[in-house]
Amino acid sequence: MTEWWDKQIQRADYLAPRANGSKELLNFYAQLLRAQKDIYEFLRSCKNWLPSGELESDLPVLWNALPGFLKAIQSHGPASLAAEAHELAEAGTEAVAERLMSYWLNASDIQFFEKAVLQPYLKWVRESGAKPVGREVSAGERYCPFCGGNPQVSFLQNKETTAESGNRDLICATCLSSWEFRRVVCANCGEERPAKLGYFHSPEFDHVRIEACDSCKHYIKGVDLTRVGWAAPIVDEIDAAPLDLWAREHGYTKIELNLVGV
Amino acid sequence: MDVSRRTFIKTTLIGGAGVTVFGFSLAPVYAQTQGLKIARTTETRSTCPYCSVSCGVIIHTLGDKAKNAIPQVVHVEGDPDHPINRGTLCPKGASLEQDIVNDRRLLKPQVRRPGATDWEDISWDKAVEEIASWTKKTRDATFIEKDKNGATVNRLETIGWIGGCTDTNELNFLAVKAMRSMGVCYFETQARV
Repeated sequence: MTEWWDKQIQRADYLAPRANGSKELLNFYAQLLRAQKDIYEFLRSCKNWLPSGELESDLPVLWNALPGFLKAIQSHGPASLAAEAHELAEAGTEAVAERLMSYWLNASDIQFFEKAVLQPYLKWVRESGAKPVGREVSAGERYCPFCGGNPQVSFLQNKETTAESGNRDLICATCLSSWEFRRVVCANCGEERPAKLGYFHSPEFDHVRIEACDSCKHYIKGVDLTRVGWAAPIVDEIDAAPLDLWAREHGYTKIELNLVGV
Repeated sequence: MDVSRRTFIKTTLIGGAGVTVFGFSLAPVYAQTQGLKIARTTETRSTCPYCSVSCGVIIHTLGDKAKNAIPQVVHVEGDPDHPINRGTLCPKGASLEQDIVNDRRLLKPQVRRPGATDWEDISWDKAVEEIASWTKKTRDATFIEKDKNGATVNRLETIGWIGGCTDTNELNFLAVKAMRSMGVCYFETQARV
């Protein structure tokens, strides 16, 4: 399903020149998506091989896709990421494998390379019919039912043909799959009391909003595809980075940082 | 990269700029943040008041929870998680916002006297007093204690009650008690909320 990657890339390319504060973030993210797509296409093109879902045994194949990815980050990333990409390129396979395995077992949103590399891998694992092996899947509706990852962004989309309102889905930060989630519920702690759930809008980002919870003080960004149907939630979420800073200034913590760190 | 989320937040907020945990400058993002006009809304799940289908709705209320600020309904939509309507609404339900926010909405009791062509304003106290007075007068004049066979019936056939679709279970309970105690037979509700 390379079309999915193409849609994200096209959306990032479309938004970047039009963006105000998040132009640099979107320019980088467009390049990152291309590098992730290359990993995905490489894995799909491997003949007589399908991912087992056990990262340790799939690593020898995944490893072959890393040099191109690291080179792209060195070319397009900020200085700190470029330097880290250089270090990883120089490091042995064991060191990189150790970092990937560490993330596999205990994912963190401040591990850029691990998260960025495993997103296309896990996307192909899911599409090929395998399941993640050796990875603890957290129970509960707020975690991805496939890989147990945190939600990155939520989006509203019409699922009932005659409905005007949108059903809410969450997109997994780890494997990029989505799952259904109830509308008026905190995606972090499950709070349901309306008075505790705030939705913050700004005319500058008409189809993106902050979905915040006053009980756990966490938030997730929501993209309304019933308003802008051609939006790509994980890209539009980055475009609306100013909303993140506003939320943090008002005491809210994001459930999961995205791949540009906001 | 040994940067905690707490450190990231700190660098974001101090001086208004800083960099993200991955090294991106937040200065232009922060500059745009300063110009944002942010509004807070609340989403409340409720039930459409119009008919006995009981469709689920989500009411969007604008208001920043500030003291003395009056929340205002800005949108009503079908609840996609509700098992009955799954996000759909009929044209009446879809116009619910106009039922709530409407300058033609009646906010006080009015009465049209026998033979009059216009409605006149009336206070709540006066309205209750007149309703009680007419109810008693009608009941005293038309109450049926026994039927033509001499059987005790204690019924009142000249007053009826029609319940609205917004009536709650509790209101209907009280209505039944009040009407039946007077002997009212003709009683209809949409009891289901």
